[in-house]
Amino acid sequence: MKRHFTLAPLALLALLPTLAHAINLDESGSFTLTGFYSLTAAKVLGGSAQNAGKTWQYQSWNCPCTIQNWEYTGVYQKEKGWQFDQESLVGLQFKKEFTPNLSLTTQIISRARNPNKGSTPSIDWAYVSWNPVPDVPVTVQVGRMRIPLYYYSDYLYIGYAYPWVRPAPDVYGWPIYAYDGASVTYKQQLGTSDWAMTASAWYGNFTQKNNAYDTLIYYTTPTHESWKKIAGAAVTLNNGIFDVRAMIMKHRDNVWQDGPGGTRVTIMDNQFTRIMGLAANMDYKNWIVKAEVDRFEQVNPDRGIKNIYKYALLGVGYNYGDWTPMYTMSRYTTVTEPIEGRRSQYLSLRWDFRKDTALKVQYDITKDKSRYPYPFFGDSRLLSISLQGVF
Amino acid sequence: MKYLSLKLFLVLSISTTYLPAFAEIVLIVNPKNAVSSMTAEQASQYYLGISNSFVPIDQADGSPIRVEFYKKITNKEPGQVRAIWAKLVFTGKGRMPKEMASHEEVKKAVAADPNAIGYIDKSALDGSVKAVLNVP
Repeated sequence: MKRHFTLAPLALLALLPTLAHAINLDESGSFTLTGFYSLTAAKVLGGSAQNAGKTWQYQSWNCPCTIQNWEYTGVYQKEKGWQFDQESLVGLQFKKEFTPNLSLTTQIISRARNPNKGSTPSIDWAYVSWNPVPDVPVTVQVGRMRIPLYYYSDYLYIGYAYPWVRPAPDVYGWPIYAYDGASVTYKQQLGTSDWAMTASAWYGNFTQKNNAYDTLIYYTTPTHESWKKIAGAAVTLNNGIFDVRAMIMKHRDNVWQDGPGGTRVTIMDNQFTRIMGLAANMDYKNWIVKAEVDRFEQVNPDRGIKNIYKYALLGVGYNYGDWTPMYTMSRYTTVTEPIEGRRSQYLSLRWDFRKDTALKVQYDITKDKSRYPYPFFGDSRLLSISLQGVF
Repeated sequence: MKYLSLKLFLVLSISTTYLPAFAEIVLIVNPKNAVSSMTAEQASQYYLGISNSFVPIDQADGSPIRVEFYKKITNKEPGQVRAIWAKLVFTGKGRMPKEMASHEEVKKAVAADPNAIGYIDKSALDGSVKAVLNVP
């Protein structure tokens, strides 16, 4: 009975009219409002961990449980039944075009739960976009942006843009996900071929005090993280069927805590970090294939640091009109003991049941491959349902 | 007689309903643009935001010609096209094509911008724009 009642808000939202176009905020149409939302409910159906009883605790979570969002520590716990607040969000994007070549964009996201900044809305993007040379496809952006690390990183929260309830959490999990800096993007058709290239490079810094990922998942005492001198580049080639992307990024990682008397307890000091990603997608006739391999390296023998993470995902789907069923598997693992790793399989179904709105249902089976001396998040089975749209 | 006119009305309304499916669509550019022909694959790149060598102009949202054009050029349903643009719009990588309410407006927009590209019913074609592809 309670279950039906808690699902009511989702059903109600589906009845609301969707908007066909951006909302004009001034008469000239140069100031617009657009937006997106994901209303996600999920329930842990079961789970277990090695060397643990039927239930166990990991940090502040009662398990069986499963982490589905690392940036904002979205964790579903079996004892809580259906949970609506771990991933649900609404985003608003305001864009002011001063000239056809100069605009200002701000994206504000309000999350049902945001441990990084209380539950106040966060400014995920705020940038000036400028095309310095008319008719040359170069765009310069300056301000706050999401790091375009892996294929879905910069649109991780635009659920309507991808087939799953969420891109594989095995691959998408970071303490830092934004940067304050600048980027340059160049788009070019390759001769008269069907291939087009997008090349981009970015540079910036970002500091997150009392970082939810570090504090809640690993250290349990307030921990701060700062990525300095973030410098990355990516090239994408697309011919309408294949979409291939390669990325490399370097930064200096700093992790610290506040010690007694205003001192600083250093955990990671200006550590060189390299992250690489390769993605290949195919969209041919009705078939969809999505594949990605990524690698994170933090190696410093003098300091005894060897943090290497390997990530991969592979998904195959088929589009039947408004329906897109998909099977996906993903995994990540560290290479040094104690190993942290996870393997997952998902069955997902996207239904574009009305304009600008998709309903998604997904069933995840996750196996925890970590070899910590204590039970980690463990194995789990999760059922998710999400209403995602744009306006 | 009444019965016959009803039948005639039905036949007429059915043929009207299905008319757009038989209509021929032409892809048009500005006459000043040096391009004389284009493939469906290239047009698809501009309408899906993959390349911005041309500025795409769209027909009205939900109009039969728009649904048919995208189906033929990109082999995608309106929802799939919208999903691709959602990624571009919310990551600052693209601007959705401007929408025009009629063939006349599309022609006007294409005639006004040397880099514009549009699509209209072949019957609406005139000298203000240049056809570069007959969409089959």
